[in-house]
Amino acid sequence: MWWAWILLAPGLLWLTLLYLLPLLGLVPLSLSEPLSRFGLETRFSWRLANYADGMGTYGPVLLRSFAFAGLSTALGLLLAYPLACAIRFRGGRWQPLLIGLVVLPSLTSYLVRAIGWTSLLGDNGPVLGLVAALGLTDLGLLRDGRLLNTPTAVVLGLTSTQLPFLVLPLVVALQRIERRLLEAAADLHAGPWRRFRLVVWPLSRPGLASALLLSLIPAAGDVVNPLFLGGPNERMIANAIANLLLVQLQAPRAAALALVLMALSGVAVWLLLRRGGPDDLALQ
Amino acid sequence: MTLHPPISGHPPVPGVRPTVPSRRRFLRQLGLAAAGSVLAPPLLQACRGQGGGTADPTSGGGELVISSFPLYIDTDEPDAPGSVARFRADTGIQLRYLEDINDTRQFFARIQPQLAAGRPLSQDLLVLTSWLAARLIGLGWVEPLPLAEVPNAANLIPTLRNPSWDPKGRYSLPWQSGIAGIAYNIKATGRELTGVDDLFDPALKGRVSALLEMRDTMGLLMLADGQDISAPSWQAAQPSFDRLERARRDGQIRRFTGNDYQNDLLAGNLAACIGWSGDVAQLTQEEPDLRFLVPQTGGVLWADVMVMPKGARHPQAAARWMNWVYDPVEAARIAAAVLYISPVQGVREILARDPATAELASNPLMFPDAATQQRLRVFGPLSESEEARWEERFAAITEG
Repeated sequence: MWWAWILLAPGLLWLTLLYLLPLLGLVPLSLSEPLSRFGLETRFSWRLANYADGMGTYGPVLLRSFAFAGLSTALGLLLAYPLACAIRFRGGRWQPLLIGLVVLPSLTSYLVRAIGWTSLLGDNGPVLGLVAALGLTDLGLLRDGRLLNTPTAVVLGLTSTQLPFLVLPLVVALQRIERRLLEAAADLHAGPWRRFRLVVWPLSRPGLASALLLSLIPAAGDVVNPLFLGGPNERMIANAIANLLLVQLQAPRAAALALVLMALSGVAVWLLLRRGGPDDLALQ
Repeated sequence: MTLHPPISGHPPVPGVRPTVPSRRRFLRQLGLAAAGSVLAPPLLQACRGQGGGTADPTSGGGELVISSFPLYIDTDEPDAPGSVARFRADTGIQLRYLEDINDTRQFFARIQPQLAAGRPLSQDLLVLTSWLAARLIGLGWVEPLPLAEVPNAANLIPTLRNPSWDPKGRYSLPWQSGIAGIAYNIKATGRELTGVDDLFDPALKGRVSALLEMRDTMGLLMLADGQDISAPSWQAAQPSFDRLERARRDGQIRRFTGNDYQNDLLAGNLAACIGWSGDVAQLTQEEPDLRFLVPQTGGVLWADVMVMPKGARHPQAAARWMNWVYDPVEAARIAAAVLYISPVQGVREILARDPATAELASNPLMFPDAATQQRLRVFGPLSESEEARWEERFAAITEG
């Protein structure tokens, strides 16, 4: 199997040099203290206070990040699952086109999309006008009668960013379901609901797990949506990390927060894997 | 001399523009200024640093590179080249003018790795806010300016020479100054505003923004509390920090912004905000309902200056540029486009003489009257450790 290693080598080298090593470098950095305020040198000193300070100030922001990520992923799944089913079972020869349409927004920079949302959700924008016209202003989605720079706007933005990453794994998983299974279920007098519950849903679970991970993790670390669509009360953890690194010049504390974020994301992955096993990730 | 008719064979320069050009508007609406500050990795700066070479840009080798804020110079209009193009034509110097400073604080993070390691930047001149210039001077990361080759510096307003943080004026020369004050849309507020307290009016809840530039936001609030900001003290600042923190938590303050408050003002998302005089003067040209207020309690006067980073490769060409922009006619063109306070004497007279720009000569934001000047204060220096403490508290409010 030596040739397998040769095929793997470029990818492994890339990941090791450009991902794993810098990542491991964060660990000592997060336990260091800067030697001077504007210099780059740090000294390793087992400074656990970096974690304590970071969590003290930004702990609530971290919780908020996962809450927003969870909400947007849940909302995204509600949209993505029926969409994926429709593409798979009703798309027919239009399937490639429909998948293309789902991916189309990703061709625009997500920065530009977030800024586009600010126009749509603005105080004089069409969405708020529609919400008011439909009399939906009392659902608790607005804050002081506005939509932009609220939690609602951030969750909407995150959902739209993550939607393609939810739809694609689901479509792939659903495409693996053989039509004959559905036909067999129908022959055995299973109605549409039972066919879904007993055939489609269990067989789509690998895609569901992949979709969850692909959405939840990037959403928890998002910078752009909270920056443009949120206000200071909707900041997420990546904003705090960027501020620590680029404004306060506190690289060790930024590293500490980044590692906490990754550890928590890692726990999420582990929980999903433990529940369903690697099969759930459609890896085989 | 006037801006019309054309000078030295160049087509006329548009003076007052009834509307801000569409390009500018487009950029602003895209919020690219803000966008750039999000995704400007320090690496990019580091990678771009090489090249250029040491050749003299006047002889066609290498090029003079300047980094500045966006929308801070007159741009090319149809049949009327902007300052950068005219400088190139007049001097034969290859000039690359970058509008890549969107957030002063993040710009420092970009240049820090190279300067700390003793490697030169690709830029020969940086246009920076004075507190950052002071920081670079203190760190020894800037070169003395070749002042002997900038005879037009004699045209500068005397009070702008030799600021407290560069007492001999060896390292910095002024670019433009401006005022941090309160901008508001009279239609949205429904009334004239009179002071900083209006920003905390519950009637404006969620339609107010403050600046991420700590000295401007904190300066205005502290002045409203009757504090002296020329020698800012941590203790004296606490009530203002507390007030800001409460307002943020209550949702009174919708956002903390850089330049991007302009989008929100034009889009009607903000009724009032802390903003900068020149921006608002520009915006007023497309939105006549906008007002700019220097509160009775005081406004924050700031200055942006030019400094030459350590190891700059083209000091002679940089001197030519500084000398060129201090020509009163050129300075008037820049002032007519950016609407900030020009550092050059005689700009007002030149603007007044040209019918197209005469109105600007009486613009109180460009030429503050004596009463306004009385109310302007400069935010004083903070020591390194003090600054760290201030920024930590401020960040806990803006990012927490």
